[in-house]
Amino acid sequence: MIRLENATKVYDGGVVAVKDITFDVNKGEFVFLVGPSGSGKSTLIRLIMREEQPTHGDVWVAGKHASRLPSWKVPHLRRSIGTVFQDYKLLPNKTVFENVAFAMEVTGKRPSVIRSQVPQVLKLVGLSAKSDRYPRQLSGGEQQRVSVARAFVNRPLILLADEPTGNLDPGTSVGIMRILDRINRTGTTVVMATHDHAIVDAMRRRVIQLDRGRVVRDEARGVYETVQEAPVAEPPPPPVVAEVEVEEVRSEETAPEPVTVPDDATAETAVVDEGDQA
Amino acid sequence: MTRVNYILKEAFTNIGRNALVVLGAILAVFISLTLTFGTLVFGEVVRTNTVQWAEDVRVIAFVRDEVTPQAIADLSTEVESWDEVRDVFFVSKADALDEARVLFANQPAVLRVINENPDIVPASLRIQPEDPKDYSTIVVRLEGTPGLEKVQSAGPAIDAMIALRDGLRIMFWLLALALGVAAVALIANTIHMAIYARREEIEIMRLIGASSWFVRTPFLLEGSLEGLIGGVLAVAFIVIAQQMAVDRLTDLPEWINLAVNNDFMIERGALVLLFGVLAGLVGSSLSLAVHRYLRT
Repeated sequence: MIRLENATKVYDGGVVAVKDITFDVNKGEFVFLVGPSGSGKSTLIRLIMREEQPTHGDVWVAGKHASRLPSWKVPHLRRSIGTVFQDYKLLPNKTVFENVAFAMEVTGKRPSVIRSQVPQVLKLVGLSAKSDRYPRQLSGGEQQRVSVARAFVNRPLILLADEPTGNLDPGTSVGIMRILDRINRTGTTVVMATHDHAIVDAMRRRVIQLDRGRVVRDEARGVYETVQEAPVAEPPPPPVVAEVEVEEVRSEETAPEPVTVPDDATAETAVVDEGDQA
Repeated sequence: MTRVNYILKEAFTNIGRNALVVLGAILAVFISLTLTFGTLVFGEVVRTNTVQWAEDVRVIAFVRDEVTPQAIADLSTEVESWDEVRDVFFVSKADALDEARVLFANQPAVLRVINENPDIVPASLRIQPEDPKDYSTIVVRLEGTPGLEKVQSAGPAIDAMIALRDGLRIMFWLLALALGVAAVALIANTIHMAIYARREEIEIMRLIGASSWFVRTPFLLEGSLEGLIGGVLAVAFIVIAQQMAVDRLTDLPEWINLAVNNDFMIERGALVLLFGVLAGLVGSSLSLAVHRYLRT
């Protein structure tokens, strides 16, 4: 699904952001990119979404040679990728519904499709009741859930998340992770850059660790740092808020299944002691 | 269809959202195009008036009394065949006398002399040049022709009028051109600000995978719409102003004619409108071309 081959990115001024990176991400995988600030996580995300082109090496995304793609074809590539950012990037003058619908309008979906799809995705992220609110009327966690809904509404093959929980408290973060996990289970490949130890350690998914622009570890079912004792995974929070069916999932192997999304309050009690602020 | 709706909606909501900036752009276009169109119309008024004057330019060749009618007819035919001559009229002594009586009606002393010696008023050939500029050539060619008493024209006055006419023509064109360029720059600047105001939205659109034309079209549409509205206002303003000038300024000297023919107004008005739209398109394209938020 994603393949980097000897990808090196040198920014203007000679700063080497990533150097000689090679890895594969298969369809349906959930991958954490971890490492301290400046280690190159964001640059990798930007290379994958073709916001940047590598100085050397190649990037393939969703069967396309992203690093060689002519710029007029980039929009098409982006439609197979959903992106979530640390700062949500919501439009302040649009409601929750409109923000999510925007992603469909932009790609030319029919109004009837938009009217049926947006509520489904809002249900998935547990915001059905707030679809007429504006971003400023929402908490940070809720805004990030809108952003995830927008990234997922077109059922992308790949979901990229750059520090999606960076601005959120640990409890709220767990809520976001539940949703990303749910999305991943529909067959969507998820790549998430983070330096949130608790989340990485709790999820036990593939971890690619970066240090000064190089891959220093690539481990299936990894934790944030190998030197640390892996903490015990938190107990699964009980289903509380919304039971949703994710329809029309892209992956063939995943049948629509009921989804449970915990609300923030419940999630918070589950992990609040976990956060080790390193 | 949904895309077309979306783009129209975007163009209009953006105009609403940045009402002040948009109003500024429309006013800027309106003012520049009013000046441009006004300049064209004023230029046309000057032209029609100088055309009237140019029609009236004559070289007068006085004919000696002893010349036979046959010789006058021959000379007249010859002069008329010259390239720089449009027309030749013969004014007989009798006609010239009538003319002089009208001309000097207010000067009893002169009138008395004329009435006492009707013979002193000479017959003449009145020669209309193809272009007023040609008068001097005609004068030179006629000089020394047997049978002619004296060749006369309003030399320096004609030269001054020609210089004035050509100078005004060039000035008007330069002015219209400069004002047109100003209109484009002002529209470009407005669109630039509109894009800056929406840079977040544009960034998000690009991240979501909006195609380039999808991002750009609302801005192009907005630009041309602003150009069109400014243009319509400008044309309306000038048409009304011109009509009012014709209606109100009735005590002008007779030889000044403010009326402009309708075809000219329609033709140039349409041109100004087209120019407004083009200015909007060019302005917004220029702005889009340099804008970093739109680069991929």
